[in-house]
Amino acid sequence: MINLVRSEVLKYVSTRTAWGLTLGMFLTGIGFSALFGALFVYGNILEGVELADVAPPLLLARVVYTAAIQFGYLLALVIGVLCIGQEYRHSTVTGTFLATPKRSRVIGAKVVALALIAAVSGAVHVLGALIGGGVILSSAGLAIYPDAVELTKTLLLMLLVLALWTLIGLGVGVLIPNQVAALCLAIAVAWIVEPLAGFGLTFVSWGQDLARYFPSQVTAATLDVFTGANDAVRGALGGPAEPLGWITGAVVLLAYAAVMALIGLLLTRSRDIA
Amino acid sequence: MSHPSTTLTGAGTDIQIRGLAKAFKKFTAVDDLTFDVQPGRITGFLGPNGAGKTTTLRMLLGLVKPTAGEGLIGGKRYADLASPLNVVGAALEATNFHPGRSGRDHLRVLAATHKISDSRVDEMLELVGLPAAARKRAGGYSMGMRQRLGLAGALLGDPQVLILDEPANGLDPEGIRWLRGLLRSLAGEGKTILISSHLLSEVEQTVDDVVIIANGRLVRQGTIEELHGETTTLVRSADPRSMLRALDANGISGTAESSHGDGVVEAHTSDMASVGEAAHAGGVAVHELRALRTDLERLYFQLTESPENSDRNRENA
Repeated sequence: MINLVRSEVLKYVSTRTAWGLTLGMFLTGIGFSALFGALFVYGNILEGVELADVAPPLLLARVVYTAAIQFGYLLALVIGVLCIGQEYRHSTVTGTFLATPKRSRVIGAKVVALALIAAVSGAVHVLGALIGGGVILSSAGLAIYPDAVELTKTLLLMLLVLALWTLIGLGVGVLIPNQVAALCLAIAVAWIVEPLAGFGLTFVSWGQDLARYFPSQVTAATLDVFTGANDAVRGALGGPAEPLGWITGAVVLLAYAAVMALIGLLLTRSRDIA
Repeated sequence: MSHPSTTLTGAGTDIQIRGLAKAFKKFTAVDDLTFDVQPGRITGFLGPNGAGKTTTLRMLLGLVKPTAGEGLIGGKRYADLASPLNVVGAALEATNFHPGRSGRDHLRVLAATHKISDSRVDEMLELVGLPAAARKRAGGYSMGMRQRLGLAGALLGDPQVLILDEPANGLDPEGIRWLRGLLRSLAGEGKTILISSHLLSEVEQTVDDVVIIANGRLVRQGTIEELHGETTTLVRSADPRSMLRALDANGISGTAESSHGDGVVEAHTSDMASVGEAAHAGGVAVHELRALRTDLERLYFQLTESPENSDRNRENA
């Protein structure tokens, strides 16, 4: 198994796409946490009240550093989709399955390799967020790293979220071998369909319960940014009203990845590679 | 002809195709195909484009699920091989590369799955003549370079069995000569070599055995010598009737064969000396005397294009 994982990691790092995506992780981290950080810190979000006056430093730091995560997890999703999509796109899947005819072992190796890849590219994103957000916080005279233990937990949860989204990407890619279709569908669902559906569900009584299980809301829940924040601040910063607990959130994200990967695996095992 | 149906006498790994079939929704690509491939020999797997060669190879290699039958390598299904690259080396298409990955990295990715060292990778690149280009992105490779890279990949695990799909495609004449020499020496080591081609003439000088299919069915199997059939003698003179009499007087049967040109008689013997002697004894001047072998290319087209092998899928449509 370790040989297969090495092969998969080598597969990833031996094309320029990998470096492009890692760079993307870094730049989205810097750029969007600086941008949204500036909006939160300098923008007039709460009428007539300085955010820094009502929000504790830990909450502010958490909000700023996680501000770019939507872009981060979209890239993570892309990494996951490409991990299998590229194989079908360029027919390298023929060589892959010739070297390892037991296809479930290939998918298993990809899961492990992607976890490693996600850890590295996720760390790059977090580093970017720390730099971009840190500059804004310090420019406003706010604490950059207020509560070391709690803030570190948030950063680790960011890594977890990015890793889980990478696996969701793999699930989508395994399920839909056409790379372009898989990418379009995954991005459309994550960025267009889900927010629209979430908005639509606010009009029905049971909508809130269902919407809590949507990927972006589960992601927000997993990040656990707003624990202990008052409702006004939470609402102003776009936090979910009654989120799932972070562990439940992580399990739900994992379930999304697992269900798609398992269905995809069943299809892959009998799929003709022509 | 008959081959032993079990795994083997002595060293080497054979290939057995047993009643293999693949039906797609609208047509049958491979239909009850059975043949053997022997170790230490080069077998040509021939048939026109679309005859089902690639589908057969992909079924043998576990990439396509057969509708019926099975392909066995040394008595095992491909999927059951513990370390497949060390048993079978396959190069299926010269396009199965990520264009952004270097040829060397492509091989390293494959090598990693079987713990094959980078030095073995470089050795194979050297063998196929790609050491410099291998560090460049594969997207820029010519067809011939892709073929060489595919071959290097097939040889990585030093397998007993080599399966190459249209390996001569895109190679220049010098490259084809080189490939022929390489395959010959590998077969000499006792390896089992199966190469597919849509042109008999392309592999005629390379292969020992042939398996010819058309429309997914076996139409001919045997050694290249058997395919050539019995050698006869062509003798040309100004007077073919006198020639026939002269041959007859010496107990050699013959027929006038105007299809080979004016004045040509085909003597049904491979013994050219006795034909010459007979003509001399009969007082007929010989203008041309040579061995006459079956035109394989013509035979090949006859086999693959004869009415019973014509495209039945189109007929049924």
